[in-house]
Amino acid sequence: MQRNLATATRMSTAILVVFGFISLTSCGEPAVELSPKQRQAQFVQNYAKNPIVKPRLAFVTNGIADFWVIAQRGAEQAAIDTGATVTVHMPAEGIADQKRILEDLLAQNINAIAVSAIDPANQLDVLDQVATRTLLVTHDSDAPASARLAYVGLDNYDAGRAAGKLVKAALPNGGEIAIFVGRMEQDNARRRRQGLMDEIFDRSRDENRVEDPNQSLTIGKFTVLNTLTDQFDRAKAKANVEDMISANPNLGCVVGLFTYNPVLALEALRSGGKIGQIKVVGFDEAPETLAGIRDGSVQGTVVQDPYNYGYRSMQLLNAVCLGKPDALPKGGFIDIPAVTVTKDNVDAFEADLKKKLAGNKAAANAGNQTGNQAGNQAGNLAK
Amino acid sequence: MKKSIGIAIILLAIVIATAILSPNFLSAYNLENLLRRTALFGILSIGVGFVILTAGIDLSIGGVVCLAGILTPYLLTQMGWTPTETIGAILLMSLAIGILQGSLVAYGRIQPFLVTLCGLLIFRGVARGITMDQTQGFQGKFAGIRWIGNGRIPLPGVDGFAIPAPVLSLVIIAVLAMVFLNRTVWGRWMKAVGRSPNAARYSGVPVARLQILAYTICSLLAGFGGLLFVCDVGSAQPSDFGNFYELYAIAAAVLGGYRLSGGEGSVVGVVIGAAVMQVLRNAIVLVPWLPDTAEFAVIGLVILIGVLSDELLRRFAASRARTQAKGV
Amino acid sequence: MTVAPPILQCRGLGKRFAGVHALRGVDLDIRSGEVVAVVGANGAGKSTLMKILAGVLPQDSGEVLLAGNPIRFAGVRDAVRAGIALVHQELHLADNVDVAGNIFLGREPHRFGFLDRQAMHSQAREWMSRVGLELSPSTDVSTLSIGHRQMVEIAKALSLRAKVLILDEPTSSLSMGETTRLLALIRALAEQGVAVVYITHRLNEVLLCADRAVVLRDGARVAEFSREQLTRERLVHAMVGTIHEQHARGDRESRSGSTTRLLVRDLKTQAHPEATIDFSIRRGEIVGLAGLVGSGRTEILQSIFGIDKRIAGEVVLDGRLVASNDPAAAAQRGIAMVPEDRQRDGLMLEDSVRLNASIIRISRESVFGFIRGGLERAGVARMVGLMRIHPATPERPVGLFSGGNQQKVVLAKWLSTEPSVLLLDEPSRGVDVGARAEIHSLIRQASDRGAAVLCAISDTEELLLLCDRIIVMRMGRIEGEMDVAEATEESITRLAIVGSVEFAA
Repeated sequence: MQRNLATATRMSTAILVVFGFISLTSCGEPAVELSPKQRQAQFVQNYAKNPIVKPRLAFVTNGIADFWVIAQRGAEQAAIDTGATVTVHMPAEGIADQKRILEDLLAQNINAIAVSAIDPANQLDVLDQVATRTLLVTHDSDAPASARLAYVGLDNYDAGRAAGKLVKAALPNGGEIAIFVGRMEQDNARRRRQGLMDEIFDRSRDENRVEDPNQSLTIGKFTVLNTLTDQFDRAKAKANVEDMISANPNLGCVVGLFTYNPVLALEALRSGGKIGQIKVVGFDEAPETLAGIRDGSVQGTVVQDPYNYGYRSMQLLNAVCLGKPDALPKGGFIDIPAVTVTKDNVDAFEADLKKKLAGNKAAANAGNQTGNQAGNQAGNLAK
Repeated sequence: MKKSIGIAIILLAIVIATAILSPNFLSAYNLENLLRRTALFGILSIGVGFVILTAGIDLSIGGVVCLAGILTPYLLTQMGWTPTETIGAILLMSLAIGILQGSLVAYGRIQPFLVTLCGLLIFRGVARGITMDQTQGFQGKFAGIRWIGNGRIPLPGVDGFAIPAPVLSLVIIAVLAMVFLNRTVWGRWMKAVGRSPNAARYSGVPVARLQILAYTICSLLAGFGGLLFVCDVGSAQPSDFGNFYELYAIAAAVLGGYRLSGGEGSVVGVVIGAAVMQVLRNAIVLVPWLPDTAEFAVIGLVILIGVLSDELLRRFAASRARTQAKGV
Repeated sequence: MTVAPPILQCRGLGKRFAGVHALRGVDLDIRSGEVVAVVGANGAGKSTLMKILAGVLPQDSGEVLLAGNPIRFAGVRDAVRAGIALVHQELHLADNVDVAGNIFLGREPHRFGFLDRQAMHSQAREWMSRVGLELSPSTDVSTLSIGHRQMVEIAKALSLRAKVLILDEPTSSLSMGETTRLLALIRALAEQGVAVVYITHRLNEVLLCADRAVVLRDGARVAEFSREQLTRERLVHAMVGTIHEQHARGDRESRSGSTTRLLVRDLKTQAHPEATIDFSIRRGEIVGLAGLVGSGRTEILQSIFGIDKRIAGEVVLDGRLVASNDPAAAAQRGIAMVPEDRQRDGLMLEDSVRLNASIIRISRESVFGFIRGGLERAGVARMVGLMRIHPATPERPVGLFSGGNQQKVVLAKWLSTEPSVLLLDEPSRGVDVGARAEIHSLIRQASDRGAAVLCAISDTEELLLLCDRIIVMRMGRIEGEMDVAEATEESITRLAIVGSVEFAA
């Protein structure tokens, strides 16, 4: 190292010193070129030897939504149960904002990060940068090509198939289906849509099959129309449903892939007087969607378990930091399966949801004691 | 009125083309949707038109729409206010925002671009802070107040088609705006401020007060627009409600014949400009072979063509006027 | 004077715009070493003629002869190559380049592809000394006065080896001192053999420096006077057709008995905070502010009206204070302001005569803030007729009117409100002789109705013609005050330049 310093220019000296410092403080061993995957393995080994008693963990979402508030409660509960310090971060402006948050977390020398990848294929460099610096797992939306240790979430393809079953139940004689989503760049959107279409068309799983969202596709008695995106603009989301109804008088069922999509589909159907005439299948558990299931305007919804995304990912990262590599799942996948909510089980589901939120009041108080930022936020929310 | 003919022709052309390409375009249901959206965006555009008329700009519209949009359900459901109190509070808040921004521009001599850009960030930030980033919705209640955004006014003897309620607001606002601009001293002076702030000052026109008035009208209409938007959509998310709406409003005003250098524009043109934007977005969904991904590109292109043809027409008219002037 | 062969000749030049004759069969000879003044009212065709000579416009008929040979310029570059340079009314200098750079713009001396700054500066100094410009060649043009910029333009033209120099209203924005210097330069250049064509409104200057004057009216050449024949009356007569400008002084009654209307007390302006201004104006009195450019005349007018903030002092109108820095309040009180730069500050050029002329009156006539359209149109029509605004088309954009008619619109805007105080800054700048007489008559009518009039005017001759009393300013101070009966051009100029201290010449 000394010899290197002597021969290097001033600029590269400074860089080397910084790098050397980071590697010394983070792993205590001299810097050697390691791949992100090797670095992850090294972190796990190091923690096994020198456990961190009260690790600092971060939970990063892909945006701001009520859905993530429930995940936040799960993450906070994990903080209380394990004694780790947990912060929750919600990027407001998409992928660039998420990158900024991740970089800021690295700058704080955070011990581990769980992140929902907004655009896995194009975020590899950012995710690998994270993986060389700290423990990384993905949740909700996976990035299989990255060096992440594990993925905590549901198989969105399976969730899509579950929604497909609801569509088939809604339209036993077939018909036209329109899909609405915030943005197609997200892996979960792609997989849900693919699973949905494969189920509707009675096809088996094929990882290489990709349907063009701009094309309509008819197989057998079902037609899946082109998929419209709204970039999270609610007025646009509603307008999209209205325009599809205008364009396709025979529309039989609309499927909303993101939380707010079925809600705005209901708004559009209501103002157009099409409730009941056009079926709605949704994802997630917005209050309006659940109310729609109860009054029959929504066929059913496929819900994730965001609470456990938060809880299980934080629990896993805490275990690794405490030096328990056995907590890592075989195959790198912790399955948090989707649940189908229909008229039959909607009441039971809502009761459970309330219970989870109520249980968190304690978390909010505990959060204040541990000085944990997310807990403070939850405390304010609970008021 | 004469100035609006160009944009009216563009609207007509797009309507005819879309009607030919999509049989469902002229359905009563679709026309209702278009009228409602045009009314909602048109109100914002009429507002920004006042500011543009004085050679200013208001980028804070999206922020005001967001703040009004989330506060309406928030005040009703979380704070338990009555609809009257809520509407009053929203309008008062918008009024205050306009006076504040206008004063910073007129008396503080800060560039309007800067003042309102900061406003845009601040208002959205405040909205997110008040709600802790939680989506605010009406929770299936308050159908009464929501009528102004999503209601329908049936036409006697006509079945299957009704006038969307926001159109009523638009018509009232547009008529008031036209009367103000064309029939009142202040309206005349506001145009003068945009045409030549120096000449206005040297004529004893109270330039600063008129600028503040313009920003106040703009924010007031943005706040009212936000109220209508959330009544239509049913819920609002602080992080993205009203995103880019200031740009849609400005684009509609420019399409409608407003010049960013001030002094020129017509209310009718702005409403038609807003309609062009909405019909375009609608056409992209309705015409099967138009990819949805091309939406922004198509809108951008049409605005460019509109503004360009307007400019060419203007130059042609000006050169004709000049050659005629030589004859005198 | 020996008769040299004409270097440039025009034979029967004609030009039409949209079917209207701008020039009809104009003949003109220009000889080396001679100053030819081309005079005429606005729209007489002077500018068109010069543009054809300088290659800016092609002629429709007739021919241009250069040293006896017919020539047709394809563009400005052709004309420049032939030795003809036009110095425009609006100067065309690059603000961000120094004097030398402007003189050699586009043809800078260079060595091995690099700018040869030294050579450029030494050559520039030569040309600058020829026009009497005592400045460093590296002076930034943006710091120069308009007079100096004019000199730079002329130096640039000379450096292009110009044999014919065309000056289009060169003195319209110059102060008295600068004008004197420019006229001397023109004479000197003529003596060096340059042919100078001089376009102007100012008859004094023609009388002072022209060898010959050619008068255009309605696109035709109506008269030519040699130096010996030149008189003021003859020029005016040829330009206007009838003699408009009679000395209207005699029939004006004295205002010395009327009451004080406007009182300016202990005024300090931002431009000259060290000076204190005190004066008053009676009902119906016309007071002129004389002085060089920069002597603080404009600042006084703007402080009274409230465009500029007053540092100290007060303005009292009819016994009541006028608010500082609030033009709207001043206008409300009946103070009217006709600014110096009417295109920038006086008018909305793209708007019609009606919108411009009625902008203040509509608020006086309004009911609950609503404009009364019928009253407005009738009022404007009356003003257009009264002021003889030509053409009488109230809906035409005011930018398309001539300078004189534009100024009448600015006046109409205020006079239709019957102001108590009328402030005017160079009211007849860039206005032809006929319009000037009409503007004077309108100002007198306003004063006859009791208005106190204060006007800043650079032209001493005009001051004597229009005003009852003259206040002479110098370096921000009131240097002296005199009744028009005792004032002469000479006494005013002396006071403005050297002050009240006796100066042994």
